[in-house]
Amino acid sequence: MNKKRIYWFLIALAALVVAFAPFPATGTPHPALRTFRIEASQYAYDPGEISVNPGDTVTIELVATDVVHGLYVDGYGISVTADPGQTAALTFIADKPGSFRLRCNVTCGAMHPFMIGKLNVGLNSWLYRSIGLAFIGVLSSFVFIRTTKVQR
Amino acid sequence: MKRSELLTRIIIMVFSLGVVALPLALWAQTPLIHASMAESGGWSPDVIRAKVGEPLHLKFTSDDVMHGFAVGQMDLTPVDIEPGKVSETTLTFDKPGIYTFFCTRWCGLNHWRMRGTIEVTGETDSSAPASPPLYVTLGLNLDAPHPADVVPVAKPSALHGQELAARIPDLPIYQSTDYYRTHSPSQVFQDLSTSGLTDSQRWDVVAAIWQSNTTSEGLVEGKKLFAQNCAACHGETGGGNGVFADDLSAAGEASAQTMSGAQDMIMQTPANFSDPKRMLGASPALLQGKILRGGMGTGMPMWGSIFTDGQIWNVITYLYSFQFDYSK
Amino acid sequence: MNRLELTRSPLIKSALKNRYPQLVVFVLMLAGFLFAIVAGFIGTPVGSHNFSIVFVWIAWWAVLILVAVPFFGRGWCAVCPIPVVGDWLQRGAVLEPNPNKPNWLNLRVPATFRNMWMQNISFTLVALFSSVILTTPVVTSVVLAAMLFLAIGLSMVFERRAFCRYLCPVSGFIGLYAQTAPIELRIKDKKVCVKCIGKPCYNGSELGAGCPWDVFPGGLTKNTYCGLCMECIRTCPHDNIAVNLRPFSADLAKPSTKLDEAFKAFIMLGAALIYAYVLMGSNGAVKLAAYNVFSPAWFGYAVAFLTVIFGVLPGLFWLAVKFTPINHGVTKNTEKSILNLRELRVSVVKKFSIAATAIIPLGLMFWVAFSLSFVLTNAAYILAALSDPLGLGWNLFGTAAIAWQPVLSSLVAPAQTLALLGGLVWAARTAQKSAVEARISSVPVIVYCLVATLLMLWLLL
Repeated sequence: MNKKRIYWFLIALAALVVAFAPFPATGTPHPALRTFRIEASQYAYDPGEISVNPGDTVTIELVATDVVHGLYVDGYGISVTADPGQTAALTFIADKPGSFRLRCNVTCGAMHPFMIGKLNVGLNSWLYRSIGLAFIGVLSSFVFIRTTKVQR
Repeated sequence: MKRSELLTRIIIMVFSLGVVALPLALWAQTPLIHASMAESGGWSPDVIRAKVGEPLHLKFTSDDVMHGFAVGQMDLTPVDIEPGKVSETTLTFDKPGIYTFFCTRWCGLNHWRMRGTIEVTGETDSSAPASPPLYVTLGLNLDAPHPADVVPVAKPSALHGQELAARIPDLPIYQSTDYYRTHSPSQVFQDLSTSGLTDSQRWDVVAAIWQSNTTSEGLVEGKKLFAQNCAACHGETGGGNGVFADDLSAAGEASAQTMSGAQDMIMQTPANFSDPKRMLGASPALLQGKILRGGMGTGMPMWGSIFTDGQIWNVITYLYSFQFDYSK
Repeated sequence: MNRLELTRSPLIKSALKNRYPQLVVFVLMLAGFLFAIVAGFIGTPVGSHNFSIVFVWIAWWAVLILVAVPFFGRGWCAVCPIPVVGDWLQRGAVLEPNPNKPNWLNLRVPATFRNMWMQNISFTLVALFSSVILTTPVVTSVVLAAMLFLAIGLSMVFERRAFCRYLCPVSGFIGLYAQTAPIELRIKDKKVCVKCIGKPCYNGSELGAGCPWDVFPGGLTKNTYCGLCMECIRTCPHDNIAVNLRPFSADLAKPSTKLDEAFKAFIMLGAALIYAYVLMGSNGAVKLAAYNVFSPAWFGYAVAFLTVIFGVLPGLFWLAVKFTPINHGVTKNTEKSILNLRELRVSVVKKFSIAATAIIPLGLMFWVAFSLSFVLTNAAYILAALSDPLGLGWNLFGTAAIAWQPVLSSLVAPAQTLALLGGLVWAARTAQKSAVEARISSVPVIVYCLVATLLMLWLLL
């Protein structure tokens, strides 16, 4: 019983570390000005995924190639709208690290709610943490099958 | 049958019929003008009737993407028509006639086909009959190629032209509007052949003449109109490479190769306004004709029923700014 | 058995036994259902502003997959309006059955169809066209109306709720996942049922209809096919029916050996993975292929969809089960010879079906995670559609002009991780229990679940 409690403690500790420990700073590059030209058409952004470093000043030039589209950055809560023939620009400082969805916020046809792109600011650390947690979860189920009797 | 059973049945019937009948009744009483992409029908209805002096109240909704509503040659803020939402406007017409209403937000390759008419009836006040446009009076052939014989090496500078004019008093940099509109830059360049200037100086003078027929407000309006109506095909910098240029040439090729080609509008690559050979050989009157009438065997829409004369001249003013350096 | 009998509370008991509370909900649901159909036909064709799409695919779906199924099992089926019209026709009355009225043809559903395969097929069909159904009000209305009329039609030909039990595309997965829910309807004492004459719970009486779900409550061991319609509570003359609160995933301790249910689990798992990629990803070509039904690209998408669901996912699982070393870990040497004999009797099909039990909690949590990403994002549409359900410019509650804006978007990723990890651990524990029944090692099954979870994490985060 005591042993089980120790395992519980160790696994909970490992999970907390994986979930919340700060990532080791691996020499963050100097903030830079970065410009992306994103073409929006029904129902995709091209490129669909852009990656920047935390602290970068990001400019997204949105080019609508068929109908009026928007681009809303999840997490940042900012957006821009572009008509075909009128490129629109959105500039912001990527100060929140993580992975964020870009979503069209001007209804652009049937599949509009699923017009999605992605902005990566630095590493997608939440994904790596989740993967780590998944392994800990599986490990814990193996540990506990040895310490608790499986109901037959 | 028990009373409770009967009562329950009545309540259920009333409820079920109510949720069907009530929305149907309310829906039937809400006349909306539906906007959808030209491929899926455009405006519905596309003919609206009105009377002179009586306010015309219109309610719009879009069935697919963002559209807009405006009436040609009328001074009115365009109404945005958002998908699934309803927007309204009230119009009053002073004169009878057939007005064109059109979509103001680009909604695909065939956006410009999204047009309808408002037939306004009422007392005809005998206003002056419209005079034919300049290209008709001049007998210009809008469909013929019009290349400039010579083109400048560098972008002509209006500033240099004015400096020359300050030094050489006889230079005719202030020309009448009629002269400006009826001459192409290359014709003016030829007219200046006796002035004793170098080629590049002559082009600078041409630039100065064109600038003198340009107001900064006009340029601003022309730029705005160009961005909203022309840039999607002709490109934001006039290079003929707008976002629809590829689609247009693909559609043009497809229509040329199939038997239904005659039915499909033959699409071609949009005109490149940064090409000096094309632009310097065109007079404002010629450009006005092309904008008014459209066509030329391409997908160029007819803008005559949309733009006012003033708007067209401002667009033309802006088109020449791709050729001339107007910086001061 | 750690169960808490809810029906011991007089309030709950009388609320379930009395017809009127459920009837009121039925009438409201039916009204909402009919209104959704009307809205889809006459309202704006723009899905995100039409009541039918917003209330069916955002509001209802959110309630169903995030609340109703995980916590109440077939709780939705208890109030679903689709079967009520057919029920009333069969019973000849809205309240108690009318014994003088014929219940139409009242045929028995042929044995070939008395399983989940028709539901597997109907769900797969809906899933193949889901991009259109999900976004086009008219199509949603056609599907809703088709379900209503199919249910009415089938109830006039066959006995009981044939549509719900054997055809409804939603009912299949609700039943599968209801096994994990902490609510169950069971008998209190088996001996009472054995002695009971006439079995009114199954055959009906003047107090209520015989089990509409074609289940004998006395034999209930799992939630899959019990629709929680509460008729047996009304008909049981011995007060022997209970609704219990119980631990999560209680039914999974008794794994099903049925292949149709196993495939249901894989269909749901696969659909969640594919939707996460197609709808939440950034690949526009795939979205167009999924949307332009009957185009060549769509056929490619359909083939890929079917291959993943019926081929790749169960195939890999089959291989994992087939070539898994027989689990000696739990057997003692003295028992070995006896167990070996029993092992031989557990065919691969059975092992496959039993081991697939682990896929049930995994799939449920995949759907929870996937649904979180679009339900919270599009929740703002609910308020707007409430004020202007038909897109006619109304503003009933002053919320029509609310602009689209994702709700709580910073919580979505952590919530999805929690759901997926919870599902993984839940699946691993289930695998360890069912592996004993299947006489295999649980390791390949757990690895399978881990790989699927990593894939889903990568797709969603």
